[in-house]
Amino acid sequence: MIAVQALAKQFSTGSGRSRRVVAAVQSVSFVAADGCITGLLGPNGAGKTTTLRMIAGLVVPDAGHISVDGIDVARQPQAAQARLGVLSDARGLYPRLTARENIVYYGRLHGLSRDAAEARATLLAGMLEMQPLMERRTEGFSQGERMKTALARALVHDPSHIILDEPTNGLDVLATRSLREALRRLRDEQRKCIVFSTHIMQEVERLCDQVVVVAGGRTVAEGSVPQLLARTGHADFEACFVQLAFGVAAGGESAAGHIAAGVVA
Amino acid sequence: MSTPRRGASLAAAWQVFRKELVDALRDRRTLLMVLLSSVAIGPLLLVALSTLVADFEARAEARELYAVGLESAPTLRNYIERQAWQIHPAPADHEAALVKRSFGHAVLVVPASFERDLAEGLVPRLVLVTASANQRAQSSASGVSRLLQGFSQEQASLRLVMRGVGPALLQPVAVDERDLADPRARAAQFTRLLPFFVLMAVLYGALHAALDTTAGERERGSLEPLLMTPVPRLALVLGKWGAVASVGMGVAVLSCFSFLPGQWLLRSETLSAMFQFGWPEALQFLALLLPLAALLSALLMAVAIRCKSFKEAQANTTVVVLAVSLLPMVTAFNQGGEQPWHLWTPALAQITLMQRVLEGEALGAADLALPLAVALAGSALCLAYVARQLRAAALK
Repeated sequence: MIAVQALAKQFSTGSGRSRRVVAAVQSVSFVAADGCITGLLGPNGAGKTTTLRMIAGLVVPDAGHISVDGIDVARQPQAAQARLGVLSDARGLYPRLTARENIVYYGRLHGLSRDAAEARATLLAGMLEMQPLMERRTEGFSQGERMKTALARALVHDPSHIILDEPTNGLDVLATRSLREALRRLRDEQRKCIVFSTHIMQEVERLCDQVVVVAGGRTVAEGSVPQLLARTGHADFEACFVQLAFGVAAGGESAAGHIAAGVVA
Repeated sequence: MSTPRRGASLAAAWQVFRKELVDALRDRRTLLMVLLSSVAIGPLLLVALSTLVADFEARAEARELYAVGLESAPTLRNYIERQAWQIHPAPADHEAALVKRSFGHAVLVVPASFERDLAEGLVPRLVLVTASANQRAQSSASGVSRLLQGFSQEQASLRLVMRGVGPALLQPVAVDERDLADPRARAAQFTRLLPFFVLMAVLYGALHAALDTTAGERERGSLEPLLMTPVPRLALVLGKWGAVASVGMGVAVLSCFSFLPGQWLLRSETLSAMFQFGWPEALQFLALLLPLAALLSALLMAVAIRCKSFKEAQANTTVVVLAVSLLPMVTAFNQGGEQPWHLWTPALAQITLMQRVLEGEALGAADLALPLAVALAGSALCLAYVARQLRAAALK
């Protein structure tokens, strides 16, 4: 279980007179339960990536509290990181190593023995249907192949919690489907706690047990898809999201204009 | 609690080291270029140097005189032959050939009346034909004029002796030269470049690996996932540094040992007699170069970690490359000899001490310890900086 409470983080850019302070996250709170897929849904620049980076221990929050299975991320970042499998926005692989070597390397960094890391790599290759890729160098891999390798790398130490930052970015339909299938199996067969961020409605509708809508650095709504639909009175989830995120009734031109303005801002 | 954690950190650093080394060694094309330039450079330099020196020697030893009309001057001819010079008749078109530089010897023209004039005490006139734009002829001309001067002096002494005057009257002062440089120190004039090239080989060997593990990692987007593993940042940095330094040290070993077989290629006998580079010299070179390879690796990583891309890092590390290649010039500009601070300055210290090894001087423990201490302290500082920058680097 991941519990996030009143998280806040601001960044300052530039220096001297051109110094500007940007509040990336102002107040994000949610609880992601085990055996459940939680979607962090929000427009671009809503603070999703920063939130996930804070959970992963890569960014230290200015305020708020994060715990992973009761472990305080601020106090014991390494203990928390050992329980997390993170597929971040940056999913660079080592082009001169094979897919298997990339995965085993991370297993070793997580403290697995060579045999255990090799066994996990083989198991994950089966689960993600990437056996033919395993002995190839990752140079020249397609986006989908890269994503699978990066996901296997993130899961090599069999973490109880999985965090994915916009995992379907740049993937085609088939790759997206196979990823979705893999996530469902991780939830159902191994009761993992899965959190992923996205700005794509379809993803959320098809996959998420629980949705956290984030806009302007704040949590604006939380619940399952049917609950959120009922709350806004929309039948269409996109309209429901626009209303929750931007606070206007969707469907009209003015709303579209408002969205555009909001995204630009 | 802390001991098992330290053990785990060391194990992780070892994993990082192994992976980075495998990664660097698989970059075959870069590695090939580095190896070619570092291993080939020793023998190549030696061959170039020995050709140069052999050419000097050959010219200095050549005792060949090209002359016209020497048959009418038996006294002069006798003197020249006594000095063990070989006399050749000059080609008929020697003037044109000298101008065109196709003929490389000054030509002595002897007048037909030479012998008679000499006997009668008149001053016979010899003509030495050369062309000052013709380098080879010009250098042979100086040898020939020394020869003729010798003849002139001999004749003068003979005449004085015949009149009962001591020849010492004409030479009131005698000058003896004493050269204090031993043969190896003299050879070091020619081999001054070698330490510099070895140093640059080490720098270029470490350069690519250092950029790849820092700026390259950022550019690929693999640094952020790496920092999400529960490995302490210092362990990551130590592993990476170990791999980069190993590549640099490998290049150092190869380039030092490439001088050993390189010696067989020496064409100049004097140079091969003077340039003695055996196992003891190679090992002393390594004792100097290995700590420097470690320091340069850490320094390059510290510069490159601030850069977002490989290209940017290449531009930034130019400063390091430039500094290392300019520092040895201090010894060239500084006429006051070796200063104490030279041994405190990385790269300069190694160049100075390698020079001493080539000159046949023994290195003391203090000479080795000071640059080693500087290298260790510098590496530690740079690595601490890289570890501090790592997280900020992953996010931007």
